[in-house]
Amino acid sequence: MAATSRTGALMSALVAENLRFPEDGSIVSVARLSVEAGGRLVVFGPNGAGKTTLLRLLAGVVPGGPTVVAAYQPQHSHVFRGSAGWNLGLGLNPEQAAWARTLADRFGLDPALYEGPARALSGGERQRLSLARTLARSEPWVLLDEPLAALDIADRMTVAAALVDSLNGKGAIIVTHDREEAAVLGERVAVMVGGTILQEGPVAEVFSLPVDDRVARAVGVANVLDGVTGHREGPLCSIRVGPLQVWGLGDLAEGVGARVLFGAEAVTLFPGHEAAAGSARNRWAGTVSVLRETGRLIEVIVDAGSPIAALITPGSQEALNLQPGAPVIVAVKATAARIIPR
Amino acid sequence: MSFIGDVLSEAIRLLSQFGTELRGVLWLTLVVSLLATAIGVALGVPLGTALGLGRFRGRTPLLVAVNTGMGMPPVLAGLLILLLLWRDGPLGSWGILFTPQAMVIAQSLLAIPIAAGVTAGAVGGLSPVTREQLFALGLGKTAAGWIAVREAWPGVAAAVAAAFGRVVSEVGAVLIVGGNIEGETRVLTTAIVQEARQAQFGAALALGIILMVLALMINGALTWLQLRERVH
Repeated sequence: MAATSRTGALMSALVAENLRFPEDGSIVSVARLSVEAGGRLVVFGPNGAGKTTLLRLLAGVVPGGPTVVAAYQPQHSHVFRGSAGWNLGLGLNPEQAAWARTLADRFGLDPALYEGPARALSGGERQRLSLARTLARSEPWVLLDEPLAALDIADRMTVAAALVDSLNGKGAIIVTHDREEAAVLGERVAVMVGGTILQEGPVAEVFSLPVDDRVARAVGVANVLDGVTGHREGPLCSIRVGPLQVWGLGDLAEGVGARVLFGAEAVTLFPGHEAAAGSARNRWAGTVSVLRETGRLIEVIVDAGSPIAALITPGSQEALNLQPGAPVIVAVKATAARIIPR
Repeated sequence: MSFIGDVLSEAIRLLSQFGTELRGVLWLTLVVSLLATAIGVALGVPLGTALGLGRFRGRTPLLVAVNTGMGMPPVLAGLLILLLLWRDGPLGSWGILFTPQAMVIAQSLLAIPIAAGVTAGAVGGLSPVTREQLFALGLGKTAAGWIAVREAWPGVAAAVAAAFGRVVSEVGAVLIVGGNIEGETRVLTTAIVQEARQAQFGAALALGIILMVLALMINGALTWLQLRERVH
């Protein structure tokens, strides 16, 4: 299937195979990476996972990669001697330069800054400028390395949404180590650890159903519990973790050591002792032991015989009146948990 | 002390007169050196930019050649051009030996590697972040090179100053291919050699002072350009 971008460039899926850097693949070794035309793939992973090197391979900055016709924006936005307006138009034809100004405006770069020297711009302003310039180019793909990292936290989600809106059918591969950014920017996410992609899939699925504990750790899933498997039921199997019986997706024999993984955002909390309505198969009673702010959300650790982590908004915390010691029911859908061998 | 004092006062007397002959020597020095610098910069800066930015076949031997050329003795450059321009030489038919043109060619040969080598150092010294952003702009080689030169401007200005300093101060090359013919190919340095050889120390010193003032003015202008933050 091919689509046509506003610049008329024929677009097709991006498929790259056997991406290795250096030749022995010690930094990056990715067997296959594919993104459908116009798709948005977020490459997510911890520092040093090889994300930037992967992007640089695709961009052709380091040798050994495929030839991807892409506009690339490196992690650190550098501005050259000259005015901000001149920098914004670098490498662009007049039509593209005009479009870059529209985009820069969308990303919140004040046009009054155009006449001044680019070096007077702040890190965030430089990033907005570079982003606008990169997106104004005609290539059918954009490769963006941490495109929002230099922005104030308060502006990130706004610019992220504007970025997605400004792709106009272009495909994007975006590197980030921020979960929220990944969730806004990506349709799919590839989790990269130790130079390889461990899991690739829709963002929600990957974040709530990591395939193994390395992915779980990388995506910041807080719940990784060890136990012994019990009955099976269709695609589900159960695992006994201390006093808890946990149902999840898995295909393991009975009575073997196993591990269950589920995301903190897959956990629903109900106040009190009574289980409220809902279809979650896993329900356990517990008490709130810790409340911790993590960026915009609050991480709640519930002692249900085993510690279970949940993520809630500050609004929910107020509504549920969650305080340390408060009784809660923890609910997790079986399809949101994955049971893997240990 | 009276010897030095006599030389100095003679030099000052000659400078205050600043006769026609002296003016001619100064003018020729300026023309030859500035033309040679211009040729050296026009060829050396692009070459140095390519060496500083690019990864291409033959880059390493070229860099070695440029670095060696930076230390080439002027008399050798003069000799090479002399052989080329000699009556029976490959370019003998041009008939420009012992003319200012030959002096410009010989000095250009000295200026090119200096301009290239210093530029290569300045452009090659641009930070990896700058270079990666430059790559990311997706520009053609010429446009990318031009932005790299702008970006490395203080270093490139130093390359221009170094090239000029090299040619205005050398004596070997212009002496060999120019011949130090009075009124025709005599420049400040060859004139100093001439006057010193004839023990005309006051005249030699006067010429030396002019040479220093000339270098000071040109380098002052370059330094001003170097330090000025270019905005547009």
